[in-house]
Amino acid sequence: MSEVEVRDLRKRYGRIEALKGVSFSVEEGETLALLGPNGAGKTTTIKIMTGLINQYEGEVYYRGKLFDAYDVAMKKLIGVVPQHNNLDKDLTVYQNLKIHGLLFGLSGRRLDRKIDEVLEFTGLLEHKNRKADELSGGMKRRAVIARALLHDPEILYLDEPTVGLDPAVRRSMWDFIVRLRREGKTVILTTHYIEEADALAQRVLIMDRGRIVAEGEPEELKMKLGRFVLEVETENGIEEEFFKSREEAMERARAINAPVRIREVNLEDVFLRLTGRRIEV
Amino acid sequence: MNGIRAVYYREIVNFKNRWIKVWSASIIYPALFLLAFGYGIGKNAHINGTSYVKFLIPGLITMSSMNQAYGISLEVHISRYYYRLFDEYLVAPIKRWEIVVGEVLYGITKGVIPAVVLLAYAIFAHLGYRLGLDFVVYFLLHLCCFSLLGFIVAMVVRSHADQAAFSTFVMTPMIFLSDTFYPIEKMPPFVRPLGYVFPLTYSTKLIRGSLLGLEVNPLYKFLLLGLALVLFGIALFVARRAEG
Ligand SMILES: Nc1ncnc2c1ncn2[C@@H]1O[C@H](COP(=O)(O)OP(=O)(O)OP(=O)(O)O)[C@@H](O)[C@H]1O
Ligand SMILES: [Mg+2]
Repeated sequence: MSEVEVRDLRKRYGRIEALKGVSFSVEEGETLALLGPNGAGKTTTIKIMTGLINQYEGEVYYRGKLFDAYDVAMKKLIGVVPQHNNLDKDLTVYQNLKIHGLLFGLSGRRLDRKIDEVLEFTGLLEHKNRKADELSGGMKRRAVIARALLHDPEILYLDEPTVGLDPAVRRSMWDFIVRLRREGKTVILTTHYIEEADALAQRVLIMDRGRIVAEGEPEELKMKLGRFVLEVETENGIEEEFFKSREEAMERARAINAPVRIREVNLEDVFLRLTGRRIEV
Repeated sequence: MNGIRAVYYREIVNFKNRWIKVWSASIIYPALFLLAFGYGIGKNAHINGTSYVKFLIPGLITMSSMNQAYGISLEVHISRYYYRLFDEYLVAPIKRWEIVVGEVLYGITKGVIPAVVLLAYAIFAHLGYRLGLDFVVYFLLHLCCFSLLGFIVAMVVRSHADQAAFSTFVMTPMIFLSDTFYPIEKMPPFVRPLGYVFPLTYSTKLIRGSLLGLEVNPLYKFLLLGLALVLFGIALFVARRAEG
């Protein structure tokens, strides 16, 4: 039985069809990335799976049971890091976490101990009594993650965990997400950064315009195109050719009378091949 | 119950950061009205044998406590649409009615403050009101109604502009036409029906009646109770419909 399964999710916002039939499943302990450009429907998918949207078509199952947004046990199973940091900005980190704890039925000493534990884990212990508004972008993001971890969820949703963070902070966030996986959590993350999906996910779902256009392990997806890309500068811009090995690519390069570059295939190439567009615009 | 506790805790902690504003607003507005109307134009006036000041203070209590209770509207709206804090409630294992009750308790807490200030003044000035259980019951019902109304408006309106429009076209006329400063029976006949549409009229009549020891049409109690129940039903409906 899958840890989470969604079947044929559809969602309309007025005339916009945000999801046009999305189905996939996630296994226990797996890290899954939903990769796609702006507006692909990643956030909408997560909102449906976490009870933030209640008018939709299709079904969500947790461990084989139909998702019910009022089922206490099911809700406790999941932790959510939304795309936008929704901290109470005038409250301290501690107070923000306390509200979350109360919502999940924790209180008293046990809650205080849990708060210290997640703050320690996210490296925010020394900022416990600072106002949320005074934290840096990276610290805010970590505070939101600490909050999501407070009730010990087994399935964690991270909607664009590193959006807006500078590269160094992004790296440390990646290490952090890898640690979550080692703790045995099932992680479902969304991103529009190719390297992020590549670095973190065991399996990637490539989404575009409300549909899943490809699914598989990052290596497997790339292998379908080949391992190496030969970029050829032509009059109509850069054209790409795919090869199984570097040697084959070099051989072809020698035959062409134009500036060329050889590099490894990445998920961007996969996306480009499938949709004719690039992810990062 | 976890939900009620969490929502109320959140509001109270935020409130503690702003308590000076609420307390001073609770003192300044009624004090100005009292000076202008009670001790100004109405100094030697009497209404049905009661001095005008004694008539006015219950109206000021209902008016200012209504403002405070209804005032949660703006806060709920901001925290929901601008800070997306509501999403935290929606992903939590709580029921939607717990959110409604938590916010209403907060509205009641805020609404009690001006009443405490005005009643303290009344005691100090030896105005001689009767403070009975009937007053407490009517006053709580009154605060429930306007907290619920504030919650509903916060969930239904799309923008600040809509919210401001509701204040201008509904809340402000209600303050002046609901038996608060001026007996509705003495108002020009063409505005009277409007006064009888506003729920504040009934809560003011009940609360003033209990404080002055006067007979009040018993129908009004049921009207107020019925209104509280209907508003609770609507609040629950809009809370259930809410999405993140
Ligand atoms: N509340 C809403 N009202 C109307 N349309 C919406 C709403 N939320 C999302 N949409 C639309 O639904 C589509 C999918 O949006 P969604 O937020 O799920 O995309 P996303 O993949 O998360 O994008 P991003 O990378 O920008 O976060 C978009 O076309 C978006 O404009
Ligand atoms: Mg998104």
